[in-house]
Amino acid sequence: MRDDLSCRGPLLRAALRRVVGLLPMTIRLLKIRLSTIARSRGLGLMIGLLVTAPGLAGDVTGQPEFQGQPERPSPVGPSEQIDGDTPHFTNDIVPILTKAGCNTGVCHAKAGGGQNGFQLSLLGFEPDEDYDHLVREGRGRRLSPAAPDQSLLLLKATGRRPHGGGVRIEPDSIHYRQLHDWIAAGAPRGAADAPRLMSLEVQPPDEVLAKGASRQIRAIAHYSNDSERDVTSLALYESNQPAMLETSDSGRIDASDIPGKAAIMVRYQGHVAVYNAAIPAGATVAPLADPENVVDRFLFANLGKLGIPAASVCNDATFLRRATLDIAGRLPTVAEAESFLSSDDPERRRKRIDALLDSPDYADFFANKWTALLKNRRDDRSDITSNFAFHAWVRDSLLANQPYDQIVRQLLAATGTVIGNPPVAWYKRVKDPKQQIEDVAQLFLGVRMQCAQCHHHPFERWSQDDYYSLAAFFSQVGRKPTAVRGEDLIFHERGIAQTQNVKSGQWLRPAALGTDVGEIPAGEDPRLRLADWMSSADNPFFAKALVNRYWKHFFSIGLIEPEDDIRDTNPPTNPELLQALEQEFIASGFDLKQLIRVITTSRSYQLSSHTNELNRSDRQNYSHHYPTRLQAEVLLDAIDQLTGARTDFANLPIGTRAVALPDNSYNRSSPFLKVFGRPDSSSVCECERVQSASLAQSLHLLSASDIQNKLAFPGGRAERLSQSDGVSPENAVAELYLAAFGRYPSPSENDLAVHYLLEPRNDSDGKPLGTREARKQNLQDLIWALINTKEFMFNH
Amino acid sequence: MNEPMTNSLGRLARLRAMVWLVMPCLACLSINSVPARAQSVGLPAPRLLATFPMGGQAGSEVEITIRGESIDPASELVFSNDGIRAVAKRDEKGNAVPNTFLVSIAEDCPTGIHEARVLTSLGLSTPRVFTVGHLRETTQTESSTSPESPHPLAIDSVCNAVMPVRAINHYRFTASEGQRIFIECAARRIDSKLRPVVILSDTLGRDLLVERTGDPLDFTAPADGDYLIKVHELTFQGGADFFYRLALSELSDEAKPVPDAGTVAVSAASWPPESFTPGDSSPETEPNDQATEAQTITPPCQLAGTFFPAADVDVFEFTAKKGQTWWIEVGSQRLGLPTDPSVLVQRVVPPLPESKQQPTLVDVALLSDIPSPVKVSGNNYAYDGPPYNVGSSDVLGKLEIPEDGLYRLELSDLFGGTRQDPRNRYHLVIRQASPDFVLVAWAMHMELRNGDRNALSKPIALRPGATMPLEVVAIRRDGFDGAIELSMDLLPPGVTADGLTIPAGQSRGVMLVTADAEAPPGWSRARLVGRSEIDGKPVTRTCRLASMAWPVKDAWAEIPHPRLLADVPVSVGSAEIAPLTVQPRSPETIQVQEGQSLTLPVDLIRRSEFSGTKIRLEVMGHGFEKHPKIDLDLNQDSADVVLDLAKLKVAPGQYKIALCGSVVAKYSPQAIALSDLVDAPTKPVPTKDIVDIVVSRPFTIEVQPAKKP
Repeated sequence: MRDDLSCRGPLLRAALRRVVGLLPMTIRLLKIRLSTIARSRGLGLMIGLLVTAPGLAGDVTGQPEFQGQPERPSPVGPSEQIDGDTPHFTNDIVPILTKAGCNTGVCHAKAGGGQNGFQLSLLGFEPDEDYDHLVREGRGRRLSPAAPDQSLLLLKATGRRPHGGGVRIEPDSIHYRQLHDWIAAGAPRGAADAPRLMSLEVQPPDEVLAKGASRQIRAIAHYSNDSERDVTSLALYESNQPAMLETSDSGRIDASDIPGKAAIMVRYQGHVAVYNAAIPAGATVAPLADPENVVDRFLFANLGKLGIPAASVCNDATFLRRATLDIAGRLPTVAEAESFLSSDDPERRRKRIDALLDSPDYADFFANKWTALLKNRRDDRSDITSNFAFHAWVRDSLLANQPYDQIVRQLLAATGTVIGNPPVAWYKRVKDPKQQIEDVAQLFLGVRMQCAQCHHHPFERWSQDDYYSLAAFFSQVGRKPTAVRGEDLIFHERGIAQTQNVKSGQWLRPAALGTDVGEIPAGEDPRLRLADWMSSADNPFFAKALVNRYWKHFFSIGLIEPEDDIRDTNPPTNPELLQALEQEFIASGFDLKQLIRVITTSRSYQLSSHTNELNRSDRQNYSHHYPTRLQAEVLLDAIDQLTGARTDFANLPIGTRAVALPDNSYNRSSPFLKVFGRPDSSSVCECERVQSASLAQSLHLLSASDIQNKLAFPGGRAERLSQSDGVSPENAVAELYLAAFGRYPSPSENDLAVHYLLEPRNDSDGKPLGTREARKQNLQDLIWALINTKEFMFNH
Repeated sequence: MNEPMTNSLGRLARLRAMVWLVMPCLACLSINSVPARAQSVGLPAPRLLATFPMGGQAGSEVEITIRGESIDPASELVFSNDGIRAVAKRDEKGNAVPNTFLVSIAEDCPTGIHEARVLTSLGLSTPRVFTVGHLRETTQTESSTSPESPHPLAIDSVCNAVMPVRAINHYRFTASEGQRIFIECAARRIDSKLRPVVILSDTLGRDLLVERTGDPLDFTAPADGDYLIKVHELTFQGGADFFYRLALSELSDEAKPVPDAGTVAVSAASWPPESFTPGDSSPETEPNDQATEAQTITPPCQLAGTFFPAADVDVFEFTAKKGQTWWIEVGSQRLGLPTDPSVLVQRVVPPLPESKQQPTLVDVALLSDIPSPVKVSGNNYAYDGPPYNVGSSDVLGKLEIPEDGLYRLELSDLFGGTRQDPRNRYHLVIRQASPDFVLVAWAMHMELRNGDRNALSKPIALRPGATMPLEVVAIRRDGFDGAIELSMDLLPPGVTADGLTIPAGQSRGVMLVTADAEAPPGWSRARLVGRSEIDGKPVTRTCRLASMAWPVKDAWAEIPHPRLLADVPVSVGSAEIAPLTVQPRSPETIQVQEGQSLTLPVDLIRRSEFSGTKIRLEVMGHGFEKHPKIDLDLNQDSADVVLDLAKLKVAPGQYKIALCGSVVAKYSPQAIALSDLVDAPTKPVPTKDIVDIVVSRPFTIEVQPAKKP
């Protein structure tokens, strides 16, 4: 048996070239993928559609004009101060330091002392402390009221003294002059009753923006004395889609040629406002006459608004493969493919989805997703019991279609032992109450609270009080040691739930992201109250976070990206669709299978990945299906399925699929899983799974010994097809294509593959091989070639 | 069988005395030729690890094979119930078939679990559960790991099987639409290492019901046809220790399923209290989950209820008078349920007559958990105490009424926040003080830096000349504070037992069981009791014995599983004799004056070579534990141990004390075979270093009051 790649020789390489060359679909996918990758990396391939969107005023190719609100005169000029001639430290000086970047986390707001002994609060959230640091600390050496230009602050900021942060303020700028004048005035703190910043407004808040257009947006600060101030030059700007919409430090924005929706987050002194832009493609799109459900209704409506035509609905083979991979994490079997492709039942797609949702494969696949996010890690060999029990609990819950809110409730408020009540295992993995609320918030609410532990959240409304009030829900989690090392019994410890804000010292009762959950008596487990709040119909986060997460699973890109960073300043690309799905999910009783059913039965999900000139650049509005590389576990299973081989995993029955692995420990023993990015279950972020391509992945598929072994697996598909007298070459090729792609080969693919299968072969000594052996080796080559096609590696 | 007995192993008696006696010369021969090996813990003990099948039908005869450690040759199989008897199976020539017995189960033998032990040349083994049921018994000799070839099961039958490693066993049964089937997989509760996962699926492989915690499945067939049962271990472990009994029984629609009994945790020893009568419990009256729905009760009382639905809090109210004392006890976890009951008692303070305010509540008592009376050690590398938890997550505590008035009692399950299981029941007892005590004993182990926990699975199988210490722990109830005298009777010939008293107010004592050097082989079902005086009346309480369900060689990887045993058999082996005996030179009581030095004349009888030349001993016995450890020279035949009573501040009175330590013996597993070589052996004998506990026979001491100058 010659297993190594070198022995396969030119015949094999030729076979690959020829087979791949005759896979038009594969080539098209390759092109699509390449262009997609190029776009996402900002390398071009932007196809400018010189079509003016209906209703747009002006010429998008010339000087930009805006359809939105006309620019208003600034209420107060950018150089003016809010309370007259004397600069106020909080209102006038801190914003300058913030704009200059002095108080970012990597500069003087760095945790643990700032830089070179000069400490500022992050983004100026603590102006009183900043004043003391700047004016009083270091014996006042940072400011020289008698000679303001010689102040250390200005010498450093302008680069006249060596400064690690470089030049932050130009000497001839207005900001320099304001700092100078403030120092010269004796560096006053300012009046205690000075107007307070109440809100921030961006002008315009939203508008339709032509492709390639530019405009200036304005930031207006509103104060407690009803005054306004134009703070455009002092505000900070950040785009959520830089490839679509770029922004400058001064609030100047530039739209690219990519149609869709994008937002600019505008921040000023702890307040945030959002500018939303819709950039239409400009095509005339007829409304969808017969939407399948809410998904189609709102997705196609959005495409209509943006003038992006949708792709056609994919064929049956593509649907079967896509749905089977997305729902069950595996390829369709040959029998399934044959049956489905020969069916003329008009309801066959819907029935197939139901069958997949009823299968244990669905539970295995989604348990794999959830257990990684829930940190089912094996750090010690004694973890195996709790990890297996926890994984099984998740799987069983999904299989039985336990309502999502109930699953989360059982996890959040788990008590008892791991064996008796497996969700307790989560408390073994995540022991610190702060980590618990951070994980819960990010995973189940789509809210990232980490920043608010130490300071006001820079992008959000969450304060430290919000953080510690949320942590208070977990303050009465009692633990008792068990016989298992590192494993505790979990119980509710009677007492009034409260947590201390480490900064203010104040003891805080439980509150759910600013929502009062009422008085919780000492005998009641506060975690149950948190679960009640989560599953309430009017919870603004819980259902939305799940719906968005599952949407991303099936469409590759979330309606909000990243899927676990839901905030006012990161708006969804299709808010109506997200809201409709959220309402459906709540109305269904948090039915996960029903949610998947709604998504996958939609015409939107079943769109082809083939693009046209008008929707090719769309990466946000789901005008066509976005192909994705199979996940590490799914790809390994797919290779096993195609080759008829199996992968052995320690402590698991022979034949266990990779998507059914209970924890991360198998990554260490499987180079394949590691190379293809299986997550290590150390984060609640889906981003831990690496889906990007790498050279190592290509080399692994081409030449790794485990792949070669699978091709030559005793009793595998190549051996079986070569040993069966009743299997013609045509039938063998058809089976391979059905197994790999869920479709029959095209006539040209069939001709080439059959021709190759019939070719004679010689052994390493040049002697002719027997017919069966030659057939077996040719089959192995052919399977190897199919594995290395993009059509195989991608879900399209 | 309660009478002392001898047995056929007596023929080996003439050999056993020479086993260790010949060892010194054998060891001398081998000392330079045997490479150093890892040190084992505990001398070999007979351990019955499995029977197959693991049970039988009442009124039937069943052939059983056994497997264990140090059980060859196994001469008899004995059971904890006389309704089960076994004889060795013989082949056509009349020779005994090794490890195979024919077991007869009487028609009237109680169904449930019993214990089997095997009699060996080292004595009577550790027990293994043997279940007697009323269903037809089958055995599965080949695994059924493929869903394509499931093992057929008939309804109303039990299948005895063993789980292979990394496998799922598949079973097929046929049911008709609406037929209710009760599926039980007995494993942990019959001493198996298997943590069973039972999955019921249709023939297309779609899972219909899954049970991963060992509870039964209650299944009603949705349609006529075949169904699959998949059984596997939670972490897919397997092998001979992973046996199980899979039972299928049909139930009528209205029948309330009753799971089979199983072994019980050590904590269950304290349930029920002596005064408890199960039938006397009044049911809780729902709804009683809110203060406004509180159920009125009148102590003393006994109630039965459930922790259902999730986060259930049962509220009771009663009136009480200032100065009254009530004892509150809840039994739930000790019934074998995964619960953690908690009781809160509050005084309901009414508002002023004119006030429109609600009554206020003042906490009076919060009761949860019955603490273990002795420290429970973890499963660490170092063995620093017994891993037997006599405590419980149940409730036992005192309520002192501070004022006349209305009191509210809230009973909840701290584990029940999200659980919807009506099987989680409880008994609530509110009584006046009924002082009492409960005793549990287990074989004492030694402090050791070694993860080996094999020796925790230790039968009271004595080598002649050996003294085996049992650690006895008392759970005191309702303020009982008296001293407890320990004693043992119904012992086999040549065996004596001496109890080191559990002092007043304390919880730990020691029972020393000693076989004379000339004790004949034999065994008996002994009785271990504690005696005390309560309210001026003598009280005797039987002590239950606990042990590990199976030996654990690596506590780092496997958690020891302690349980209560059915009886207290004591046996003397015939094959070996104790490597070292430490005993008083004279059995006479040693008299000493208070505050003076006490000299203990000690004899050391060696029958083995040892690693090292000294044995470090500590003193066991109330009042003497704080004495510094004493080193004795192992090469000396006798020594005088001097204890300074002035430092120990021992009060006048009579005491029993013992010396306890450990030695590393050079043990040869070939000793029995070599014992035939009475004359000088010619070839080296491999030996193995084994550390084991050594305890002296007790010394009786009378401390007399100091003479006044």
